[in-house]
Amino acid sequence: MAGADGASTALQRRDLCARGIRLAGKMRSDVVNLLEAYAERQGLDASASVAAVEGVPPAAVERWDEQTSTQRLLENLAAYRAFRALLAQMLEQHREQLGEADAALGRALAAVLLQVSAFAYHLEELLRLESRGVPGEEEEEEEDGLPPQPHSLFEQKLRGLGVLRELAQWAVRSARDLRQLTKPSPGTGSAPSLPESP
Amino acid sequence: IPVTPRILSLTPDFSTSTLNLKWSDNGSVFPYGLDAFWQIWVLRKETMEKVTEVTYHSKLTHEDIILSWNWTSDLPLECMSHYVKIRCYINVTHFGLKDWSDWSPAEVIPDMDPSGSGVFPLDTVVAVGSDVTFCCVHEEGQNITNMTYGSKPYPMIQLSSRSNAIRVLNASASDTSGTNVVCRFNNEMLEGTVLFVGYAPDIPQNLSCETPNFQIIKCTWKPGRPSGLYGKRRTKYSLFERTCGKNVSCEVNEMNKELACGFPVIPDQKIYDFILGVSNPIGQTESSVVVDITQRVHPKTPEKLTVSGINSTSVHLHWFINGSFAEIRLLCQIEISSGHSEQKLHNISMPGGKLSSYIGQLNELHPYTKYRFRVRCSAADHFWRWSDWSRVEEYTTSEA
Repeated sequence: MAGADGASTALQRRDLCARGIRLAGKMRSDVVNLLEAYAERQGLDASASVAAVEGVPPAAVERWDEQTSTQRLLENLAAYRAFRALLAQMLEQHREQLGEADAALGRALAAVLLQVSAFAYHLEELLRLESRGVPGEEEEEEEDGLPPQPHSLFEQKLRGLGVLRELAQWAVRSARDLRQLTKPSPGTGSAPSLPESP
Repeated sequence: IPVTPRILSLTPDFSTSTLNLKWSDNGSVFPYGLDAFWQIWVLRKETMEKVTEVTYHSKLTHEDIILSWNWTSDLPLECMSHYVKIRCYINVTHFGLKDWSDWSPAEVIPDMDPSGSGVFPLDTVVAVGSDVTFCCVHEEGQNITNMTYGSKPYPMIQLSSRSNAIRVLNASASDTSGTNVVCRFNNEMLEGTVLFVGYAPDIPQNLSCETPNFQIIKCTWKPGRPSGLYGKRRTKYSLFERTCGKNVSCEVNEMNKELACGFPVIPDQKIYDFILGVSNPIGQTESSVVVDITQRVHPKTPEKLTVSGINSTSVHLHWFINGSFAEIRLLCQIEISSGHSEQKLHNISMPGGKLSSYIGQLNELHPYTKYRFRVRCSAADHFWRWSDWSRVEEYTTSEA
């Protein structure tokens, strides 16, 4: 029976990864659109140089190909939980600063927040499939705590730009990570690789 | 020679670039009624350049009085260090040589982070047409490549080795998210602030109040010229009623053309003397109106219209109106239409009820005819406005 279970888990994993890759692709294109609208509405130069945003895990990672599946999933999950808190804060700041004046940008921010939350949930599903415990939210929130409030509005605007930029990078990395998860680990036979997405 | 004055406090208000100085006049050591003159100097930068000198006069009262003086800077206080010192001259006739006291020690503005950097003033609000000076304070040795207001670079004025300024004249209304003032350094890093440029609130126009149900009074008005300020800087409204002294803050959507606010009906009060208060960070205004709510009844749409036949030419109509109209008579109008004849209106007046149903009878209808009925109501005495029409209800009279 173990063989059958193994096969069904592998199938489930492939399916979850395939759906995750599509989610990441959609999220990335939405984030890129949002980034442009955000920069324009906030009067920022989209290419402005922004210091690393505190509370945002960098998408770039050294020795990416040496990471285990679990490491990939845990790092992804930590990132999207951080983004969820940061985007929720951005949405709150948007309401406080603009109220009803820029409802379209508010809706776009809320839509991306929804996708980030869905993707985080998706990663938790994958981790459960790996029969790995899913780290509790409280542990992470205690470690990182809520992102600090910037002390000026301009800093707040720049930070929003930095968050969206990093999220766009993460969406690319997540698709690569999930694609990597579907590849058989060495010695277990080859499986057809999934279509390239973002 | 008088004692050197003692500065009690030097308090900055960075949002308005204002300094408040408090000192004691030491009056208890002098006879009553003497004239005292206080010379106050405001100095800038480590080089203590004098920016302002003023002589302030007071009368001594043989008690120690705390005196206070305000000064508004033409530059944001954060742009450089500011110091204040004070000395005094007492006009006393019989004590020998009269002269100024020594200067007090120079007091520096507290809360200023000498090593701080940033663009100032921070996230402030000004009226359209204002002239504003911004400064970029940076660490020693850092080089500024340019300072922009919106997307436009401005000529820089060096204030000190750590502070450059630009001056924006006749500022125009900013976008919804404000106008960015950005200071770019040669290491590509940015510092900045946001300026919100808008208008003081307009006097609300067409302020009008009515009651739909004798439970709430709904006031509506047109806001006039948009202030250009949004979110927490938006224009805020509150409704104050003089007779009962109650004040209600209004939740409005600043994007709407017409704004509305609800005020609870006060038991046994018919006359309401309203003041609509309006304010935003640039200014405030108000509008007022006095209403007798029994003369400003605008009932809600009649609901649950049903028709029941009495005979082939008469029917009863029943409907419900949400509201307490026990204090007035209602006038209701029934519109009668049928395929081949002209539309007719039938008026019925009746005592108002409290959250109740109403009934009207129509006679002289044609037998075996399909009719369409709808109803609307208003106050019978002191007509103000009709309610909206109810939904249409169809009915076919029975055969003769």
